Parts: sequence; C-alpha cells; structure tokens
Amino acid sequence: MDKKYGVYICTGCGIGDALDVEALCEVPEEEGLPVQTHPFLCGREGVALLEKDISEKGTNTLVITGCSRRVNFDIFQFDGCIVDRVNIREQVVWSHPRSEFPALTEEEKEDEENFDVVQMAAEDYIKMGMARVEKVDLPEPFKLDAISKKILVIGGGVTGLNAAIEAADTGYEVTVVEKEAALGGYAAKMRKQLPMDAPYEELLPPMIAAKITQAEIHDKITIKTETIVARIAGQPGEFTVSLKKPGEKTKFDVPFPLPEEMTKDEKGDDLDVEEQHKRYLEYNEGKEDILQLDPDGEMFGAVILAAGWRPAEPDKEQIAHLGFGELQDVITNSQFEEIATQGTITRPSDGKEAKSVVFIQNPVPDDDADFAYTGAVTSMVALKQAKYVREDYDDGKAFVFYQHIRTPGLQEYFYKSIQQDDGIFLTKGKVVSVSQNGDGLIVEADDTLLGEKLQVKADMVVLAAGMTPVTADDPVINIAYRQGPGFRDNELFDEYADSNFICFPYETQRTGIYAAGAIRRAMTIEEAMEDSCGAALKAIQCVESVNRGVAVHPRSGDMTFPDFFFQRCTQCKRCTVECPFGALDDDEKGTPKPNPTRCRRCGTCMGACPERIIGFADYNIDSIGSMVKAVGVPSEDDYDEPPFRILGLVCENDAYPALDIVGLNRMSYSADVRIIPVRCLGSVNTIWIKDALAQGMDGAFLLGCKHGDDYQCHFMKGSELAEVRMKKIGDALSSLALEEERVTQWQIAIDEYDKIPQMINEFVEMIEDLGPNPFKGF
Amino acid sequence: MTDTYLVEPDVEFIKDVKALGGGDVKKCFQCATCAVVCPISPDTKPFPRKEMIAASWGLKDRLVKDSDIWLCHQCGDCSDKCPRGAKPGDVLSALRSYAVAAYAKPKFLADWVNDPKKLPILFAIPVVIFLVIGLLTGQLNFSPEPGAIVQAKFFSVILVQIIFPLLALLLTVSLVLSLKDYLNDIHADAVLYGRTKKKELDYKELGQALVRVLPIILKQDKFSECSENSDRDTPHLMVLYSFIGLAIVTGIFFVVLDVFRIPGPYSQLNPVKWLANVSGVTLLIGSGLMIKNRLSKKDDQVSMYKDWYLLGLVFGVGLTGMLTEMTRLAGTACPTYFFYFLHLMFVFVLFMSLPYSKLAHIAYRTVVMAYNEYSGRK
Repeated sequence: MDKKYGVYICTGCGIGDALDVEALCEVPEEEGLPVQTHPFLCGREGVALLEKDISEKGTNTLVITGCSRRVNFDIFQFDGCIVDRVNIREQVVWSHPRSEFPALTEEEKEDEENFDVVQMAAEDYIKMGMARVEKVDLPEPFKLDAISKKILVIGGGVTGLNAAIEAADTGYEVTVVEKEAALGGYAAKMRKQLPMDAPYEELLPPMIAAKITQAEIHDKITIKTETIVARIAGQPGEFTVSLKKPGEKTKFDVPFPLPEEMTKDEKGDDLDVEEQHKRYLEYNEGKEDILQLDPDGEMFGAVILAAGWRPAEPDKEQIAHLGFGELQDVITNSQFEEIATQGTITRPSDGKEAKSVVFIQNPVPDDDADFAYTGAVTSMVALKQAKYVREDYDDGKAFVFYQHIRTPGLQEYFYKSIQQDDGIFLTKGKVVSVSQNGDGLIVEADDTLLGEKLQVKADMVVLAAGMTPVTADDPVINIAYRQGPGFRDNELFDEYADSNFICFPYETQRTGIYAAGAIRRAMTIEEAMEDSCGAALKAIQCVESVNRGVAVHPRSGDMTFPDFFFQRCTQCKRCTVECPFGALDDDEKGTPKPNPTRCRRCGTCMGACPERIIGFADYNIDSIGSMVKAVGVPSEDDYDEPPFRILGLVCENDAYPALDIVGLNRMSYSADVRIIPVRCLGSVNTIWIKDALAQGMDGAFLLGCKHGDDYQCHFMKGSELAEVRMKKIGDALSSLALEEERVTQWQIAIDEYDKIPQMINEFVEMIEDLGPNPFKGF
Repeated sequence: MTDTYLVEPDVEFIKDVKALGGGDVKKCFQCATCAVVCPISPDTKPFPRKEMIAASWGLKDRLVKDSDIWLCHQCGDCSDKCPRGAKPGDVLSALRSYAVAAYAKPKFLADWVNDPKKLPILFAIPVVIFLVIGLLTGQLNFSPEPGAIVQAKFFSVILVQIIFPLLALLLTVSLVLSLKDYLNDIHADAVLYGRTKKKELDYKELGQALVRVLPIILKQDKFSECSENSDRDTPHLMVLYSFIGLAIVTGIFFVVLDVFRIPGPYSQLNPVKWLANVSGVTLLIGSGLMIKNRLSKKDDQVSMYKDWYLLGLVFGVGLTGMLTEMTRLAGTACPTYFFYFLHLMFVFVLFMSLPYSKLAHIAYRTVVMAYNEYSGRK
C-alpha cells in the first residue's frame, strides 16, 4: 500500500487554549507531512474535511490528534485507511492543566534553557503517532479454505438440548452427543422443578420431556446418544471431531501430555527434549499425534460444552457429626430427589413414611460455608424438597437449617411461599449433631432464630450436597491441543470450566468452545436454559466471525492475526507454551503451528518471542519500538537540567481507560511520562524496554490488569507473564549497571483510576532520586 | 434457661392462630423491626419478635404461657412497620384469644364464643333460662298490668336478682380458676426464660403490685402510649368508663332496691340516673366509633369474628338499654318490654362471654400487668 499521510490536529476541548498549535504543526511539517487543524474535528465539518482529503487527495494514512481512541472511534473510522489516534486531550491537556503546568511566558521563551513540559508531551505524542503509522499495514482477514458452521453440543441434558434448539432455530446445523443412552440428564430424574414464572409459587412438572421431543423432531438437530468425544482437532470453523462409544479405545483418542513426574529422570533433573518426546510417544501409544487429522472426523465450526454435573459426594469425615454414611436415613438431596421421584417420601432404613424431614444446608457448624459445589440452587432445592414433604403428607413437617438461603431475583417469591407454608420451618442455625433416637433421628442445632439450642425429631435428614462439574476429573472436550486435552487452570475455579462468568460468561480459555449450564457453576434449570442461549449465541458469533476472518473475543472484529517469520524461528516453544489459549501447536521439531481462528490476538506470543519474529499487521515489535524511539529524550546537550523521560506501556483493556478517566476527572500526573497503549501486558516484548533505556529514557512502567487467582486480565495470563518477564529484565538491567527499580509493573482495576496519578508521581520521584539514566545522550 | 429445647411444632396451632386473625404469621422473617418500633416493649427479651417466631414454628405450649402477649395493647405500630406484612399486632391478638380459650373453664364455652355457628346457641341460653325460670317461678309476666310502664311488671326484679348474681358467681369462679392456672404458668415460664428473679409467687406482693398498676390501667396509660392507632384511644376510654359508670349505677340501684326498697323507675332528675344516661350514651358512641374505625380500616388491622363478636355485644347492650329507656319514656309499653328483654339477653351473653371472649383482656391483662410490676420486668 502506498501511504499518503495526513496529520489532523483538533483544537477543540481545550487543546487549542492549552497548547501552542502552530508549534505542534511544525512537527509533521518538519517531516514533510501535510497538517491541518480544526476546532471541532469530530463535528460534521471536521469529518467532511477528512473525507474530502481521503477522496480528493487520496490520503489513506491519517494521524488524528485530539481525543482518546476510546471515544469517537466510530466517527474516525474510514474504510481502507490506516488511522492513528493521538491522544493529546485526556493524556496531555486534561491531565496536565496549565494551572499546575504553566505555559512559558514570552520572556521565558527567550531563554533557551526554559521548556514547556506539556507542549513537549503533545509534540512527542504526535511524533509517536507518525512513527507508528509508518510501520503498520492495513490488516487482511485470515480466511479458512473451507469453513463448517455446524455446532457440536456436548451433553444432552436440559442445557445441551436447549442450546441445540436455540442454535438450530436460528438456522445452524447442530449435533448433540450424549454419553448416556437416554437424553434429558438430571432434569429427567426429578419429581418437579422450580417455578419459572410469576407468581413463582408453584413447583412445575418437569419440562424436559417436551425439550427432548422438540430436539428429536428438529430437522437441523442430529442426536447421538451413547457417544462421547474422542478428540476435537483443528480450530474454530474447522474443528475435526472424532466421536466414539463410551469406554471404546480408538487411535483418535486424544493424546495426553506427559505427566510432570515423567518429564524427569531418576535424579529429578529434566530429561532432554528427545527423551521426553520418546516417553510422550510411549505414554500415548496407539494414539495418533494431535496434528494428525481424523479422515473420518466430522467437521464443526464451534462447540458448546454442556456436559453438566453429577451429585457431589459429601466428605464423610468432615461431616461425621451429621451421621452421613453411618445413619441410613441421613441422605443427600439427590438421593432424596430420587426417592421423591419414585413415589411417596419414605425412609431408606425401613420404608416407613417420612413425615418429619430436616434439611441441612451447611456441613460444619462453625463455618458458614455451604457444602462443596453448591450455590443458590441448593438453597432452592431444599425449599423445593421441603414442599415435597408437604405435598405427600398433610401433617408433614419440613425443617431447613441454614447459614444462608439464597433465592436470587424473583425466586424470592418462591422463598416467601415456602416460608408461609404452615408445616415448613426455616431457621438460621448451626447443626451440631444428628443421632439415632429410637427408630427415628434427632437433630440438634445451636444459635437458631429461636434463640437457643434446639432439638428436632426427624424421620429423615437431607444434606444440601452440591453439583460436581464433570470437568472435575475428565477433560470431556478432549481437544487435540499441544497444551493438553482440557481447560487449563480449572483448579482456580474448583474445577468448574473456567468461563470468566462475571465479565465474559460462556467464554472458556479455548476459543470456539463455550461452556454452559452446571459445568460453569451450580445452577437451576431456568438458569441453565438462559445459559444455553448465551452459549449458543457465542457459538454462532464464533462461526460467523471465523467466516469473516475476524477475532471473536474479546477483540471482537479484529482482523489482524499473528504472523510468524519462520525462517528465524529457533523452536524454543515459548509461544506454544505461553499462549493462554493454546492457539499454537508444534510439530515434533518444536516449530509452532499457528491456528489463527483459535487466536484471540492478545499478542502474548509476540511478547514471548526472543527472536521477535511474531507480529500483527498493525501491532508489532517495530511499530511499538518505533514509537519508543520517537520519544524525544533531551539530554544535558539540550538543557542544563533536562527533563526526565519515563515510558509507560499501558494495557488498553482496563488500564488505558482508567488513565482516560484520570484525564476526564482533571487529575494530574507528571508530564515526563510517555504513554503507549498495548493490547495486553502479555504482548510487551522486553526489547521495547531495553530500547527505551538504551536511548536514555530514565525508567519504564507497565500498567495492566490484576493477575493471580482472581485475575482480571482479559487474556487470562498476560499480566502474569509480563511480571515474570519484567523480573528477568531486572537481571539484564543490573548487568548494565542500571538500577532494577527503573522498571516496574503495577496492577490496576478500572475503578482504581484515582490511584494512578500517585503511582506515577511516586515512581517519577523515585527515578529522579536515582538520577538520570547514564546512557542519556549517547 | 433450658439447655436444649425439643421443638415439636403444632401445625394445628398455626392453623388456629391464622384463623383467629394471625393469618400472616408465617410471613415473618425475623428482622425484629416489630420489637424495635413497639413503643411499650421491654428492653430485654422484647416482644413481639420472639412471639412471631414461636408462633410461626407452632410452639403452642410456649406461647400460651407467655405473659408478654398481654403486654401488647395492639396499637398496630409493629404491623404498620413490618416490612413483610406479617402483622405482629394481629398475631398477638390471635394468640391472646388462643390463650384465653386455652385457660377457659369450661373449654367448650370458649370454643362457642369463637365460633360464629354457635352464636344462636349463645343467645338461646339466656332466652331459655329466662323463660324456664321466669315461667316456673311466675316472675315473667307476658301480660303486664297496663298503666305506668315499669319493666319489673314484665321481668320481675326478683328474677333479675336470681339470674344475674348467680351468673356473676359462676363467672367469677370460672375466671379465678383460669387465672390461677394462668398465673402459675406464666410465672414458671418467666422463671424458665429468665424474665424474673423471683422464684416463688407471693400473692400478697402481687396484690400490692396490682394496686400500683390500677391507676395506669384506669388512665389507660399504656394504651395511649401506642401511637399508631391513636383514634382508638378515645373510644376505648369511653367504653371503659361507661362500663364503670354503669357498674356503679347498677350497684347503687341494687342497694336502693334491696335495702331501701324503693322500686324503679327513678326520676330523670336523680343524679344517679344522670350517670346512667351519660354512661349509656357514652357506651353507644364509644362502641359505635370502634365499629366505624374497624369498618374504615379494614386493610390495616385484621378484623375477625372475635372482634365483631365483642363489639356487637357491647353495642347491643348499649343500644337495647337506650331503646328500652326511650320507648318507656315515649310511653309505648310493648316495645319497652321487648327491648328490655333483648337488653337483658345481651347483658347476659356479654357477661357470660367475659372469661372466654376478647373481653377477658380485662382480667388477663390486669393480672399480667400486676404480675409484671411484681416480677420487675422492665
């Protein structure tokens, strides 16, 4: 593409008042680039000016200087044009008010030793924008040769069937695989289900039968019972799926990575690569390599994982005081449901009527935690089952001892209706013991609402056990990815399929595979149905995004994808290992095999690559590196007391918006920092920091999302990996006789914007105390 | 306080409490707003929160013995502020009716008083007694001599003096027996739950406490402390004082009749007659206002059969009394005798209901207030 440049400076929003616009214009003019100013660039006239240049002058590379890229992005978007938004509003003018950073008076200007830090910043940012557009290209979408838009649903329970119906109704071909011989899952084993409509007071007859019929007669739904996934190979849009009968062994069963202990020799040292590979092959003997596609495999575009749950088995030791395992009439809620579904509620011990039933919600008296794998649903199930007792016996009594009852949303009405039943008794309380009493049981509870220790005679005790996700001990999805057959990091989420359910429900760490229902968290049928709709929409979004060659999430619509310059690849595998989404597989030599539609475009591979051979059309080592180099670093040759220069690499997901909010709130911070937005801290290649320090910048900071168990990183691992890399750069710095403190990383949540100015200012002060970078001016 | 409490909820009890006006008791979710807003609840172990949970758990034994239900004067503050609409005020009212019935002797009369279907029987009792005794003794004369209208010509003084003192005696015995049981139970309960430090019940001290609380009762201080339904304050006071007035009048006339042998009717200029007339009118207006209040506030306060039963009786007593007098003064003999008969019938049923109906609060609340004064519950 022949680039025809144009620099446009908006002087509205206080920019023209605070800065010397003429001097700003000189920056592009010195480079020979045309520059225009406008008092209201985002207005109709301003945009017309840009469009006129594009159509008449053929301008196709625009440096639009004014507000943050996070606003007016739809206005400054022009087909076939490279656009860079230079943020001198939030980042310069608003966050460096003239009241604190006064402009030079005419008199001061005469002395060349004086300089205006705010003007300097604005000029630097324009230089950086100009440097960037020079280095980037217009992206071209990655398109698959043949795309399948079929959706595979794993699990034929209420979630899976509903997801299938929703997707099929939208026009997509769906295949449902169910491990059992019959469809319906747990929903088919219930007596009644929780209310789903106003007035939320009556239990409903199970609606699963209707869903099964609906799915079975749907012409776009194929149902395969007694079938599981042997492997899912390939990438979204072209997943090659091998199916098999449960228990069957096939050569397309997915290979598992070597367990940790098998990668070491007797002494505990790591085996060399070849030896490890040998063992890996032995370990997976009879299984084809992940890169070997099953010629008989079926093609799918996206996968919905709705494999559900199994009843959790309470820890007998933990709840010995409740008599579970010892007393026959102490059972779990799922055992109770089974009894209730078969007929009238009777005791397992002697088959006698159970007219007094105690429901216990918490395992340990002195801890208000619920049983494992529970949630609001277990509270509601206890209420539902209490109702069964009342349905079966006019003189029946049900007691619920809880630390908390959770009935979210309109289910509060259900709670109320249960509470108002004459024979149902609810109380907060700590159940201390359950013991045999004649042919019945006696339950003792402390700290109840009745204000004292209580004893209740019971025929049966029901424990609110949880719903263990089947991902707890089985990858289920069996993806043929080098990083392994299941999701990573499930242990962070109690083995629920991680789907980042607050910010991005249904998303998993594997692009194109969407989790729904009880595999995500313990939930009701109603919630599972809603979940299944969400996951179906995500699956559709995925195949349609792949079809257009753009990213699905979270950089939805991003047309770029990582490009590898393989001639220089050293097969170090860092990209394969570090990609948070397992997008890269490698062959036996270790050469990465990109799967662009698995990729989320975070750039973690780019940050990882020591050879710096990975980049995106509009975001690469050179483009950011050139921006770093465009920052003016005044030395003692320029001024007696040159200003310091600090580089800030800021994650554009949360940290950059937070920084914009700082400007919006007119909070100020040092004018000596130069901010460069990055896709994710994971994409930060240490070369940028080395370059910055080498050219005399005095320090650098990385500002990104929180990491750890409760990470907020939009790419799961980015900020964590950056921290590891920054530690390593510290060693490199000390070898150059530079202080390690010159480079730092902060974690910030988007709502902590108010902390940023202080963080930056303290860092700048600390650097000032260390003194200028000795490499300055070389 | 007990170590552990074996809870055996009585579902029938919950149903009864609901039927007696505590229909929303199970809505309570124990936020304790009621106990906080109550202007007269004690600081320690306040009501009605604990009564609400006990009632929704069907703890009958605990509640009938709980004297705190009588400390409530049903102002309705708690019902008004209850976020869940559980109407604690009405629940306590229902519990009181239940407790009265539980201690009633004989119990079947309490059941009849609370059962609309038994209303004809209750009214039939005085009719049968009047007719049987009257006709057997010849003291009931269906063809009274013409001339001046004198009720005694129709329903002799002797007949009144046979029937009503006997009724009063029976009532007193019934009440005393009930209250004795009740006192023992509430004392035991107060000891059990630490609401008092006194171990033994000392009747002499209790009597002294009663003397101390009488002015509070007569001035209706506690009832007036309740702010929410302040419009109930005056009518209730009117009814209270009119009954006291009428009791004084009746007492004086009994003495006049029996000791001085001066037969009625008495002159309208007689100051005792003034008191009688003023009391009668006050009774009518007071009970009339109470009926009006209940009719106009259907949504706030639950009005059950037990409430209408008592109000109807009181209003009936006043109305038939005044009608008797007015028809007599108007010189119409037949209506006078008819209303007099009705009046005696209403008075009989009202008297007879005293230990069993809502009216029993006169006795139970007095006893409890005296007991509280005695036991030192603040």
